[in-house]
Amino acid sequence: MNSAAPERLTIVLAPWCPHCVPLSVRHGRRLARLLKVPLRTLDIDRPAQERAADRLVARYGDAAPDYLIPQVFLEWSDGRVEHLLTGFSEQVARTDRAWKDLFRSRWLKGVLAGRKR
Amino acid sequence: MTVSGRVPPVLRRALAPDDPHCYRHCDRPLRARALTARTPGLLLVYACPGGAVSVVTYSEWRNRDPTPTLLAYARTHTLPPRLVRRWDLRTATRHGPELGRGAEAYMGKARPPRPLRAVYWRVYPTRTKDGSVRRLFACARHGRGNVRFFLAPGDAQSPRCPACATGGKKRAR
Repeated sequence: MNSAAPERLTIVLAPWCPHCVPLSVRHGRRLARLLKVPLRTLDIDRPAQERAADRLVARYGDAAPDYLIPQVFLEWSDGRVEHLLTGFSEQVARTDRAWKDLFRSRWLKGVLAGRKR
Repeated sequence: MTVSGRVPPVLRRALAPDDPHCYRHCDRPLRARALTARTPGLLLVYACPGGAVSVVTYSEWRNRDPTPTLLAYARTHTLPPRLVRRWDLRTATRHGPELGRGAEAYMGKARPPRPLRAVYWRVYPTRTKDGSVRRLFACARHGRGNVRFFLAPGDAQSPRCPACATGGKKRAR
């Protein structure tokens, strides 16, 4: 059994993006609370944060010359970084639904059950 | 379950947006038109009744970047092809947990396990030197697999594409 635990939730975002703020920040805060991990936001409009965001997206996320935001990542204690979600370009409401489905998912139930063990 | 990249109906439904509307053109409902193409995945163009394109998406259910497929399709079907720029295409990986319980269970059974990979082609409206706005439209008068993408004045309704305007044959393939 994998004994790794979630360590940090990161959202790559921009303040002008309606899929990101306030929608994904709100859901991200809730998810971080459930997982008992800190939430980090990386704003692609701030050069230092943008560099960290670019590295994360290039290595673990959906990279493109002008990549989609938000992108959400969960870092684990064993060093793994799990890409959880990328915003749905079709519609802000579709990104909202993705977050809600993530909260209802078997995956999250499993992660939370693992935390209790 | 194959690894051809085909997107089964349960995952098509899971991917679909709820009630998208045309943005900054007419606010009417967008229609997702599935395009017939020689591609294994799902190719959709989201456009309003006036033909203004919101986004074109291509999705495959396999762990491969679908960008080259959409890039090639878009360049073949856009007048002129140079309107299709690499940086206007953006990828997204879709995992089971974010797609609802049904899709999560379905994808969980797949061997080998794999996410859905999607790529979006979105062309933002541009302002020309004379101050007018131009945006991307789709012309469906050439058959279901033969949509033509082109720029037209931003407030146009069902404008004719360059092929139609020059008397191009409207024969369906």
